[in-house]
Amino acid sequence: MGIAREIIKNRYLYVLALPGLLFLIVFAYVPMAGHLIAFKQYRLADGIWGSKWIGFDNFKFFFMGSDWYKVTFNTIFLNGLFIVCGLGIALLLAIFLSEIQNALFKKIAQSFIFMPYFISWLVVSMMVFAFLNTTDGILNRTLAANGLDTKNWYLMPGIWPAVLTVIYVWKFAGYYSIIFLAAIAGISGEYYESARIDGATRFQQIIHITLPLIRSVLIVLALLGVGRIFYGDFGMIYGIVGDTAPLYPTTDVIDTYSYRALRQLGDFGKSSAVIMYQSVMGLVTIVIFNAFAKRIDKDAGLF
Amino acid sequence: MENAIQQVRSQKAAKIKNDRTFREKLFVIFLYAFSGLFALICFLPFWLVFINSFAAESAIKKYGYQLIPRDFTLYSYQFVMQGKQVASSYGVSVTVTVVGTALALLITAMYAYVLAHPRAKYRNILSFLTYFTMIFGAGLVGFYILIANWLHLKDTLWALILPYLLNPFFAFIMVSFYRTLPYEINEAATVDGANELRIFFRIILPISKPVLATVALFYALQYWNDFFLALMFIDDYKLHPLQMMIRQLISNINISAYVGGSQTTYTQPLPTYGAQLATVCLTIGPIFLLYPFVQRFFVKGITIGALKG
Repeated sequence: MGIAREIIKNRYLYVLALPGLLFLIVFAYVPMAGHLIAFKQYRLADGIWGSKWIGFDNFKFFFMGSDWYKVTFNTIFLNGLFIVCGLGIALLLAIFLSEIQNALFKKIAQSFIFMPYFISWLVVSMMVFAFLNTTDGILNRTLAANGLDTKNWYLMPGIWPAVLTVIYVWKFAGYYSIIFLAAIAGISGEYYESARIDGATRFQQIIHITLPLIRSVLIVLALLGVGRIFYGDFGMIYGIVGDTAPLYPTTDVIDTYSYRALRQLGDFGKSSAVIMYQSVMGLVTIVIFNAFAKRIDKDAGLF
Repeated sequence: MENAIQQVRSQKAAKIKNDRTFREKLFVIFLYAFSGLFALICFLPFWLVFINSFAAESAIKKYGYQLIPRDFTLYSYQFVMQGKQVASSYGVSVTVTVVGTALALLITAMYAYVLAHPRAKYRNILSFLTYFTMIFGAGLVGFYILIANWLHLKDTLWALILPYLLNPFFAFIMVSFYRTLPYEINEAATVDGANELRIFFRIILPISKPVLATVALFYALQYWNDFFLALMFIDDYKLHPLQMMIRQLISNINISAYVGGSQTTYTQPLPTYGAQLATVCLTIGPIFLLYPFVQRFFVKGITIGALKG
């Protein structure tokens, strides 16, 4: 059966898919032409097709300097911290909440823990500033009140991986703990009952029943996170750090770096080369780690 | 003799049992303490922002952020509301969120239906085209050139709406829902002579309300909280959504000109912190007014998404 016949036969179905398909073509596939700029000396007047080919010059500029190493390291290091601490704390919270009998306490605690998930990174950034700013920040006020030295936290790049990790855990612990709680709720109550009859303590039940049975969920979430390790969270990093240059050494990720190259320096070629590098590395890691995730849980992969 | 040994034994057993119940109790206390403390840390920043939006600027400057301010004033809100910016930013955010969510929901629901439909022969090709955009992005530069130079959408509301109309992840949540519907519904309607458009709008959409509500909330939150698109494409401050307004208030030196929109004269000193706090409260207010409802649907959506992501 030819393509035309299938489409005519199910024309009403394909009409339903048409707006979505058009969207994908225009907003996801057409802009992929932008990757060509990585190999060109882009000039607005000449457009993507008309600009001069310059081979790998843009990549040379990027890889010759020390920037590429710094932003790659920051992206992977920060994402690694986020995955380990984010999933770890969320797992603890989910297990603890599932052990709590008092329904009201549980409900209120869960509602509070989920709250940060709903606010934008700029609101978070305002809260962080209220906490850390030099003159009126809560932290410095508290330090001063106890006779300790205040510090200018926005000039100390060394502490920011930790600060960003705390913020990440704060924002996403609720989200991940919901996934873990759903997995825990799926465990049959009979396991716990027979363990209690055998005299197992709660702690032993957690170690020997809950943890092994939700291990695959944890591994799958971790693998999916690792698969996206080359993609920094632009909204988070740029929302919180913004243009605070003293913090770049530890917080500048590939996404914020390419954004600045494009919007502040207007260097389309360099920005494109950085993004192409990220897309290719990202594609390879996603494909690899998706395969792992699928091996553990056949429904887990993205594709 | 026998009796004595028995007694010692049972005493020992009782002691072990007591130890155990004591340790169990300690463990339970620890569970409550840890969860409670974490919940409190999550909530505290919200409380501080909310309560200090009613504090006088001079009090914040003098005492810092307070758990309970010494005196209450509505001046921060008056200051923000007097200006034109908050009204126009609210208008932009509401328009973008309402129009964007409605369009995105319609397009996603229709598209996902075809991906899930057993009779659509090319559904796997469509699925792959959709998946591929999740793992290989066009990147910032191509995207920027598309919106700014090819579609000429800079400084228009469409630049804030169009790019988020179809989120592959949300589409796949809907696909997994449609797959749970019995195919007989479809067959029966086909026998009755209804075409797919009719079946979709008359039968499928009405029975999909729960998942539609969940996905609509996902989209609405995305539109409401986004600042990336505005950062990239909106230079005209009249078209700044609320998120951009917050950003301006954090970084802008001349807040009276920005908030006021004209040469409004103020009798009191400018509430720099107050304006930020009040604007943040006005921005996150709608989300938390509907919080119990919002929370319920998000938990549902995340659970579906996690079980088949």
